Amino acid sequence: MLAYLVAVAIVFGIYALLTISLDLHYGFTGLINFGHVGFFSIGAYASAILTLHGLPYVVGFAAAAALAALSAWPLGLLALRLREDYLAIVTLAFAEIVRIVITAEEWLTGGVQGLSGIPRPFAGLGIGGAAEIAYLGLVAAVLLAAVLLINRLVRSPFGRLIQAIRDDEVAVTALGKNPAGAKVRVFAIGAAIAGIAGALYAHYMNYLVPDQFVPLVTFYVWMAMILGGTGRIGGALLGTAVLISILEGSRVLRDIFPGVLQVEMASLRLALVGLLIVLFVLYRPDGLLGGKTKP
Amino acid sequence: MGLTYYLGLAINGVIEGLIIGLAALALNLVFAVARFPNAATGDLMTMGAYAGIAVQQAGSRNLLLQGLAAVAAAMALSVAMYLFAFRALRGRTMLSPLLASIGLALLARSLLSLFVGHEQYVFRMPIVRPWMLAGVPIQANDLWLACIAIVCVAVTFAVLFLTPIGRQMRAVADDLTLARASGIRADRVLLALWLLVGFICGVAGMVLGVRTVVMPEMGWNILLPAFAAAVLGGVGSPVGAVVAALVLGVAQELSTPFLGFTYKIALSFAVLIAILAVRPAGLFGHVERVR
Repeated sequence: MLAYLVAVAIVFGIYALLTISLDLHYGFTGLINFGHVGFFSIGAYASAILTLHGLPYVVGFAAAAALAALSAWPLGLLALRLREDYLAIVTLAFAEIVRIVITAEEWLTGGVQGLSGIPRPFAGLGIGGAAEIAYLGLVAAVLLAAVLLINRLVRSPFGRLIQAIRDDEVAVTALGKNPAGAKVRVFAIGAAIAGIAGALYAHYMNYLVPDQFVPLVTFYVWMAMILGGTGRIGGALLGTAVLISILEGSRVLRDIFPGVLQVEMASLRLALVGLLIVLFVLYRPDGLLGGKTKP
Repeated sequence: MGLTYYLGLAINGVIEGLIIGLAALALNLVFAVARFPNAATGDLMTMGAYAGIAVQQAGSRNLLLQGLAAVAAAMALSVAMYLFAFRALRGRTMLSPLLASIGLALLARSLLSLFVGHEQYVFRMPIVRPWMLAGVPIQANDLWLACIAIVCVAVTFAVLFLTPIGRQMRAVADDLTLARASGIRADRVLLALWLLVGFICGVAGMVLGVRTVVMPEMGWNILLPAFAAAVLGGVGSPVGAVVAALVLGVAQELSTPFLGFTYKIALSFAVLIAILAVRPAGLFGHVERVR
């Protein structure tokens, strides 16, 4: 039971990193990013490939953050010029291109067979028990650091600038501030956090295949963010908790009703996620933590 | 690998392009009139194809009957989505209906796979020997499908440009406030829009289903190429969407020998990003609200 809880907590930590970094993009700055899974997968594969070649974990994590941020750079530049609906489509296409490249470049990523035997930090502590708890400690530390970073960032002058960009970009420009640089930087910072989440995921799962990085992951994260309420770190964490309980709850449900097939459970889970997105957009656009808006 | 090989690829590309074009047309109509990218477009097509399969499973081999079922199902779902979600979201930012359409797409697809499973279905078609045209084999079925797609585009344009409701639709697309002030009832126009979108998606789903296999992800897979064509053709331009989709379809097929099957799909996405980097409003789109 403890092992199960630790495993769920690790997955929660990884998804929470994705949600707060997406919240930095959309909730705080208003950048509509539908390609978050792209940064996630770049981080995962970067760290996995480097550590499989014998490099230390620190290098893997640093490369995950750096490469994800680097891939966000051109997208950030595009975001300056594009209408927001175009940006949504472009980021979605970006994540799909990343997945196709991962699928096609077998020499680097193993293609559809994927990568296996990815090492995990603290594995020396033995299977089960201590090693898992130590890894949870690492995930929790990274999450705490990311929360503190974003918290500090949004309260700084820079944070006020990006929130002003979200609320009224024209006014920001009229006040003599330059929204362009801020947007590019926010894009890169959020992508770096998602990249680190990817690295944590890769070392936890021990294997990677392209199918783990479908657009659905992005939609899960969007659901978590909207559910909790955008522009609020507490909301992002709450939304992630709901998301994880949907993803895990269906597994528990299957133990109670053993007659239900796994594919049926997956369909039900997806239906619930879709329904929640629609209902929250319709009736609680400010999320669980937000005040009820008039319909 | 001579000229005939490439001609064959190009013909294949034209038919692919027509299917993408129908989806892009449906996207662009919603883009222009309701003003959001409708991520449920692909799943409307899927629903149509499954309705056609349902008629086939019920024992009818009549393609016309199957097609009618497909169109009816897609139209019903399209209008249901409007009444249930999109109507209440008018006046919100573009993101709200976009997110709702993603949620509805997930919901529709998962309910479909919950009730009919993940197995693939095919429309049983009589096998016909291909015609040889200057050494290029042409499938009679492909020709039929192309004709149906072209008729569907023609019907849509006729509705848009020859009927009063089409004129009202274009007026709402140009300027909602001005259209309202001229006494156009937006409710009726939007209802007509979603009926038309359902009609196009039903035909597109049926054509795609006959050409390939019917499975829950079939529509979703065509959504991004359709987005690419819609943006390439200029958002809100129905003619541009179809032309751009044809170009994309042919380019995709002709690139297969050089790029391989995996990267062929990435081509349209790469084109999309490249075009937007140079022309943020799309190829034929007019510059509006560009930041």
